[in-house]
Amino acid sequence: MLAFQMAMVSDKVHAEMVQAREFPELSDQFHVHGVPHTNINQGKGEAIGAIPEADLVHEIEAALKN
Amino acid sequence: MANLLNKDILRQLSEIFKALSRPVVLLFFNDNSDHCETCEQVSQLLEEIASISNMIIVKQFIIENAQQVAEKYGVEKTPAIVVCAQEGENLVDYHIHFYGIPSGMEFETFIQTIMMVSNGETDLEKETIAFLQDLKKPVHLQVFVTPT
Repeated sequence: MLAFQMAMVSDKVHAEMVQAREFPELSDQFHVHGVPHTNINQGKGEAIGAIPEADLVHEIEAALKN
Repeated sequence: MANLLNKDILRQLSEIFKALSRPVVLLFFNDNSDHCETCEQVSQLLEEIASISNMIIVKQFIIENAQQVAEKYGVEKTPAIVVCAQEGENLVDYHIHFYGIPSGMEFETFIQTIMMVSNGETDLEKETIAFLQDLKKPVHLQVFVTPT
C-alpha cells in the first residue's frame, strides 16, 4: 500500500504489485524469497518485509545513489 | 464460473464504495495465449467489483490487439490492472499497476487503492511527501507478494 501511496503523490514514482508465483522469472531475477519484497529500480535497492514508511524512504534514497 | 465475491463481501464493498468521490477506471490487460492462468479469474473479479458501484468502470483489453494502449500505460505483461481516476473526459494515470490476481491480503490493498485513487488522498507523513515531491529521478517500486 505504501508503494501505491507514493505513486499517487509523485509522478516520478511507478508502483506495481507482482504476484510472485504468476511471474516466477521476474521473482527469480530479483531473488525474491520472502514476501512482501520491494524491489527498487530494477535491483538497485530492495526492502524485505512490511517495513515502516521512513525506512522505505531511506532505501529509495540509497538506491538512487547506486 | 461461480461468483468470486460472496454476498457478505458484496455488501461490505457497497458500503465502502459509497465514499468514492471520483470515478475509478480499471484498465485490464489480458492476452490471447493460454499460459495466463488467472486472466479469466481477474477479469471476472473486476466485473464483479464494477457491478457494485457505477463509479467503478472496467475496460478490458487483449494486449496483442491493444499495443498502443499498453504502451501508453507501460504494460508489458499480463494479467495487468492499471488503476486510474477519471476527471471529465480524461484518465489520470498514477502509474499504479497490479500484475496477477489481487487475492487474499492483496484484495484489501486493491480495494484501498481504488478508494485512494478515487479520493486523491494518502496518509503519508509530511516528510515523505516532501521527499517524493522533490524527486528528480524516476523510482520504480515492484512489490512482490504471494497469495495468502
